[in-house]
Amino acid sequence: MQYEVDIDGRLRHVVVMRVGDRFTVSVDGRTSEVDATRVDPYTLSLLIDAEARSASGAIDGIAGSHEVTIAPDPATRQLTVRVGTVPIAVSLNGRRRWGRKDDGGHAASGPQRVVAPMPGKVVRVLVKPGDPVRARQGLVVIEAMKMENELRAVRDGTVTEVQAREAASVEAGAVLVVIA
Amino acid sequence: MLLRVSVVESFPLKKILIANRGEIAVRIARACREMQLSPVAVYSECDRSALHVRFADEAYPIGPSAPRESYLRIDRIVDTAKRAGADAVHPGYGFLAENEDFAAAVRDAGLTFIGPTPEAIALMGSKTAARIAAKRAGVPVVPGTEDPLSADVTDVEIARVAEGIGYPLLVKAVAGGGGKGMRTVRDAAELAGAVRAARSEAGAAFGDAAVYLERQLTRPRHIEVQLLGDHHGTVLPFVERECSIQRRHQKVVEETPSLAVSPALRAEMTSAAAAVARAVGYTNAGTIEFLLDESGRFYFLEMNTRLQVEHPITEMVSGVDLVRWQLRIARGERLDVSPDRLLSPSGHAIECRIYAEDPDNGFLPSPGRILQLRAPAGPGIRDDSGATAGLDVPIFYDPMISKLIAWAEDRPLAIARMRRALGEYIVAGIKTTVPFFTWLFEQPEFLDARFHTTYLDEILKSREGRPFVEPNAAEEDIAVIAAAIQTALSPAAVDISPAAGAEAGLASRRWKARARTEGLC
Repeated sequence: MQYEVDIDGRLRHVVVMRVGDRFTVSVDGRTSEVDATRVDPYTLSLLIDAEARSASGAIDGIAGSHEVTIAPDPATRQLTVRVGTVPIAVSLNGRRRWGRKDDGGHAASGPQRVVAPMPGKVVRVLVKPGDPVRARQGLVVIEAMKMENELRAVRDGTVTEVQAREAASVEAGAVLVVIA
Repeated sequence: MLLRVSVVESFPLKKILIANRGEIAVRIARACREMQLSPVAVYSECDRSALHVRFADEAYPIGPSAPRESYLRIDRIVDTAKRAGADAVHPGYGFLAENEDFAAAVRDAGLTFIGPTPEAIALMGSKTAARIAAKRAGVPVVPGTEDPLSADVTDVEIARVAEGIGYPLLVKAVAGGGGKGMRTVRDAAELAGAVRAARSEAGAAFGDAAVYLERQLTRPRHIEVQLLGDHHGTVLPFVERECSIQRRHQKVVEETPSLAVSPALRAEMTSAAAAVARAVGYTNAGTIEFLLDESGRFYFLEMNTRLQVEHPITEMVSGVDLVRWQLRIARGERLDVSPDRLLSPSGHAIECRIYAEDPDNGFLPSPGRILQLRAPAGPGIRDDSGATAGLDVPIFYDPMISKLIAWAEDRPLAIARMRRALGEYIVAGIKTTVPFFTWLFEQPEFLDARFHTTYLDEILKSREGRPFVEPNAAEEDIAVIAAAIQTALSPAAVDISPAAGAEAGLASRRWKARARTEGLC
């Protein structure tokens, strides 16, 4: 099976071949043997043996035992993969219906929907439709739980919609800004 | 001078109503169990499945989720205590813990309040009255206003008072706590606006818009002294806690003892703290906060008339169970601990407050469902938590996941142990401040204990929002492999390989049917 995995805007091409609990995984052409067990719905135990069976060479530094948790992030619709102490945002190519035309190989991640994490009030709107934004750039300031919080872009992109209005109250989950 | 003279009897306690939630309610329930006392829980709508409810012998609903409709409802809590047949009420920290009307209502209902008297709460809870009490006890205070500035004090008058105190100064709420209702003022031009803003925030947070002014010391340390006072006149101080690591005036890391406090200074500060508490006839648990300036002079800041969030670190180095003593003191027992033992710490303890916040997004609260939780364990590790997998972190309260405490024989070992524990901490489904602590416990100034109360704000600002932990190439590769394998193992996976044919089509139709009922991301 093949996947395209997006980390921080960079696409990695992954091929997975499975025999029982053992996987041969190639990432951008470099191969490892992986013994994988699902400990619970969100936790994988990986034993990665980076000794290459293929001629294309092994991936450095990933051999050994790794406990990885994977959970969906409802705010960004990505997966949060925790490796060691590091949480990493990852997207997989979305589900494609069998028999439909190929989507044209677009990036695995869709538009960013910036939503209010809790009920609050919009204090300031910092962008307008058409603005280009960089990752971590501030978009909207909302006041909630008596503190002001700045919501930021996860990735680079262009603002397509601004639904936030200054002084408006918003509910948890309200879409404030959409970035393509 | 306020001394409560009373005939001290022994109050047998059997059933304790815990007027709080989250980790502190769990903490109190544990102390009750160890003393064969029956814990009674109260819960708001969103806390029905909370851990403290599950740990109690009985649990009663007290209203909708918003605090002012539940955990702040004096009437409902006291009624529930009476209905449940409780003998006593423990207020925990926050909510009604420092509300003298609550303490009085409990007392008037014929129940025992696990804490100081309403009079002591009222006196020391007023920041200006507390400063006066400290001065009378011979303890220096941070230069500031004597009387609160009520709403009708003019801007001109405030400016005059401010000149007398000197700049920079802080505008603080008289009824305040937890850093709310505070504003920094660098010069006279900023004063009027800051007072207005502080009054407004204080009115909203505490229902009391009175503010006072206090000189802002340069690069001070926040050092506090835990106290226990019984009903027989004994007040005992503990070794100090170092609480200078603060973000926007909220404590984030606490440790004990403080490397900035020599044995001689410890003797002075703990004696001063005990003197203030004795002077006001203080009973049960309390903490006196000081600011220690760079020249080694200390000043009384305020007193907290309750158990504090960071009490576990004191328990770890003193071997004394503070919540247990709160219950014992309320029962009328005498403090029979050796004073020297409380001032001679065994080893070093550090606490990290683990919050459901996204440190890479300005510490934005990250409420939501905890899908998976594994707290660290092993030697010298204590995790005080109210969170479990399957629970939602509610939006109505402080988003604390747990307090993670590491104890070891000395500070470097405690730091190494904390790093180990942070590496074990798994929380899936929400963001937490664990990556931030991983980063902090590598900063040279923190490792050398060279910091003060604005250190963290300064170093965070200088980072300009860079992520706290960036994955290296190997970690990214592992994440990619894991994501791919997880998807391959999941029935909702769909193959995008162009080589798959009819056979895959059949398999995928079966997969699609399951995918409809089982969404992945």
